[in-house]
Amino acid sequence: MTTSSADINGIRDKAAIVGIGETDFSFDSGRSELQLASEAIKAACDDAGISPHQIDGLIRYEMDTNQETMLIQSLGIENLRHWESVSYGGGAGNAVVGHAAAAIAAGYCNYVVCFRAANLRSQMRLGQARNPQRIAGGQQGFAAPFGSMAPAHQFSMFVRRYMHKYGATSEHFGWVAVTLRENASRNPRALRRDPITLADHQNSRMVVDPLHLLDICQENDGAAAIVMTTPDRAKNLRHADTLTLVEAAAQGSGPQNEGVIYRPDISVAESTNTARDLWARAKVGPSDIDALMFYDHFTPFCLFNLEAYGFVPFGEAKDFVAGGQNIRFDGMLPINTHGGNHSEAYIHGLTHTQEAVRLIRGVSTSQPPNKTIDRVLSCSSVAQLSAAVIIRRG
Amino acid sequence: MTQQQDQNIKSRPMTGPLEGIPLPDLDRLPDYERGFWEGSHRSELRIQRCSGCHMFRHLPTPMCPSCHSLEYDWSKVSGRGVVYSFVVVRNPVHPAIREKEQVPYNISLIELEEQAGLRICSNVLNIAPEDIYIDMPVQVTFIPTVDDPNVVLPLFVPSD
Repeated sequence: MTTSSADINGIRDKAAIVGIGETDFSFDSGRSELQLASEAIKAACDDAGISPHQIDGLIRYEMDTNQETMLIQSLGIENLRHWESVSYGGGAGNAVVGHAAAAIAAGYCNYVVCFRAANLRSQMRLGQARNPQRIAGGQQGFAAPFGSMAPAHQFSMFVRRYMHKYGATSEHFGWVAVTLRENASRNPRALRRDPITLADHQNSRMVVDPLHLLDICQENDGAAAIVMTTPDRAKNLRHADTLTLVEAAAQGSGPQNEGVIYRPDISVAESTNTARDLWARAKVGPSDIDALMFYDHFTPFCLFNLEAYGFVPFGEAKDFVAGGQNIRFDGMLPINTHGGNHSEAYIHGLTHTQEAVRLIRGVSTSQPPNKTIDRVLSCSSVAQLSAAVIIRRG
Repeated sequence: MTQQQDQNIKSRPMTGPLEGIPLPDLDRLPDYERGFWEGSHRSELRIQRCSGCHMFRHLPTPMCPSCHSLEYDWSKVSGRGVVYSFVVVRNPVHPAIREKEQVPYNISLIELEEQAGLRICSNVLNIAPEDIYIDMPVQVTFIPTVDDPNVVLPLFVPSD
């Protein structure tokens, strides 16, 4: 029998998250993306108790406009020993954390930074059509002429099919929206803090049927960064009292995922492959997880991920989220205690990893009152490519 | 007016291609995509089919993802299928959709009868979006775009 990659977990507990930082989140930052990146990375270094001069590794999102050389210049990095770019937007969320942990485990660098910085409202809006008027080939040539020009158009196709297959309704998605907004209402960083009701969700305008406005994430400006190093170095830094370790990471795809909508069964999350590898590497399971950070570009994908990662059987997430009790900050499985992409801010998933760290430190603004958070799962988008990490208390 | 109060009022059906939005540039397409649009131009739905294993495929690719043959033909299919999934766009994300007041419109994923899982993205015409449903039978029709009559779109109408 051949050895599957899932039998090896070379990064287990080899990297510690020692600093998190972000800019303010806004609809018009008034600053360059380089300034946003620099501010967030400086804030993460301050939180860790290191100087930006000590950074020697950078893991960036391929979509990010900030190149390594620009950040070396701006932050005063002396010698960048290691750098990587992870492709895709939402798919790179958590993947950057896994890559950073691998770089630390391999000894490629001592202090590695993952970051995402973008003016995704005042400059390039991902929710608007960005196709050229004449398309010289590729999947968008088979989609845009029919009006499919935004992520919401493609991902709603999954949602419609999911509703058809399992009987989920818009109200089930509404309970996710209500819960995330309630979490954001306690979070001073959040862009949307006014609590909403299920009726508000149902009465919000239909943007791409079946998605209402209150199913869809923010489009905003801002930046986030995290700093990682070895557990030994972490013991001499500012958060030495709480060791926060990367226990396992995984990435995955499925077949036929170019163009998003041609996969064999779009009612099932593609992240089932990622989930299987993650659990195998971590040697823990859903019952060992205390809180969930789900990439909530659209609320239904919280249901998809509950099923993909095995927290509930397929088709039963709708019952699990109904009423919100199970997924509230004080419930059985809190989801996105910061408010998520839905209500805090959309920084391509990096804020989800930051919130996992806050939960382990015990400093979330929606810290679960009745239990210690020892282990958090953070997952990126369910398609086209997905990634996940498990962050645990050391 | 809320969505609930609105539900008895149906939206107007689409009657042809959307206007003013991105189209394929027929002169610059890769050769492995051209047959789809050439077929459409002749009012034929032609889908790429592997000459080695005879599997249909869409999106088009230079290589068969099943048997890895580089040989293929553009096989004419019946144009019959069912709605696999669909969405109704009510918020315009392109200036031409906004300016020409083209919302709401549907985007429908049509599963063709020739092969399980063989799907193309299109629009369903002549039906209010509120009346479209999964597994609804449809038949292809061909209409040139207003913006470039050489680009003919395969669109679908309900069939029974």
